[in-house]
Amino acid sequence: MKKAFLLLFVFQLSLICLVAQTLPPVDKSPMDMSYYPANYPVLKIQDKLTEPLVARVVYSRPQKAGRTIFGELVKYGEVWRIGANEATEIEFFRQVRIAGKKIAAGRYTLFAIANETSWTFIINKETDTWGAFKYDAKKDVIRSTVTIQKTDLALESLAMTFDKTTGGFNLVVAWDNIKASLPITF
Amino acid sequence: MKRTGSLLFFCCLLFACNNKKENNTARPIKIASTDSSAPGRAERPTINPYAGIDVSPMDMSYYPVDYPKLKMAKSVNTPPLARVIYSRPHLQGRHIFHEVLKYDEPWRLGANEATELDLYKDASIQDKKIKAGRYIIYCVPHTDNWTIAINTNIDSWGLEPDTTKDVARFTVPVIKTNNSLEYFTIVFEDNNGTANLLMAWDDAEVRLPFKF
Repeated sequence: MKKAFLLLFVFQLSLICLVAQTLPPVDKSPMDMSYYPANYPVLKIQDKLTEPLVARVVYSRPQKAGRTIFGELVKYGEVWRIGANEATEIEFFRQVRIAGKKIAAGRYTLFAIANETSWTFIINKETDTWGAFKYDAKKDVIRSTVTIQKTDLALESLAMTFDKTTGGFNLVVAWDNIKASLPITF
Repeated sequence: MKRTGSLLFFCCLLFACNNKKENNTARPIKIASTDSSAPGRAERPTINPYAGIDVSPMDMSYYPVDYPKLKMAKSVNTPPLARVIYSRPHLQGRHIFHEVLKYDEPWRLGANEATELDLYKDASIQDKKIKAGRYIIYCVPHTDNWTIAINTNIDSWGLEPDTTKDVARFTVPVIKTNNSLEYFTIVFEDNNGTANLLMAWDDAEVRLPFKF
């Protein structure tokens, strides 16, 4: 009898859990967005813009959570989505140049291959995709290899930002104690 | 005794169930600011010098539902139809009305940036045609219905929408549920071959129907 009661409760509870899970929960690796110029939407409503929107990146932010990131979680030499969940999206609102090559305005997917001392950034035409599981090198637009920097800070969450440079800006990707910068020019 | 035992078990299970949910929903954030309408970004205890993790994290929903996963599984070979990018404020013990939102005042349907609606194909909403393109979407909640506005002032912060850039406004009923949904949620739902954009928070649910 006790068993029957318990079974009933288990059944009801699993129903409660199911109902509670029909809408998507907040992700462990929350999504975020960065712009060049930095903070573009805030500047826009404050009428403080000095240059038009050039680039935006939409990515998810996994946590270090006590793990060794580079060389272990992110394996050296393998294509990585630079984030979590959906592949990272980079959009250019005007033509830019990366590694000397003209990149037309448009939406792209951003991947990277991490190595011990360098990263290869990949800009690829296959958008709206999940992870790097169906990565197709035939759809690459450009690959650019950069040397990385080691930082003193072990960053808990993956971060992306754009830094102004002379003649353009850098896409800066940082996680754990690694920082990689991809130069982008006009 | 039997009853007490079952009740105890019930409590344990409920706790386990909640815990499981918590793992999915909550992150250990120290909230610096509880005002999700302020343009400031809350930081985790360890300061991230590049970009702090937001107290109202961003999220994205596609139509077809889960499009990127379908694409990965090769079970779709057509482009996506629509996508929404929004930030997810949470109740933190408050009630949606009037502690977070006020009736008859516009709300960005999220937090931080204005909520973005991307249409990859012309759509029709309540028999009005909306051309493919990038838009923002916001609402004006009323007691029995919400006004949903589609607007062209893209890449803007969500406060004070510029109504002169409205493309269309729609009135949709609001449904009261028995739930209290902690995080604001926007998701596309399938509705017999058409799409509903479901907007849900606390005990309020609103659906905007799309045809493609």
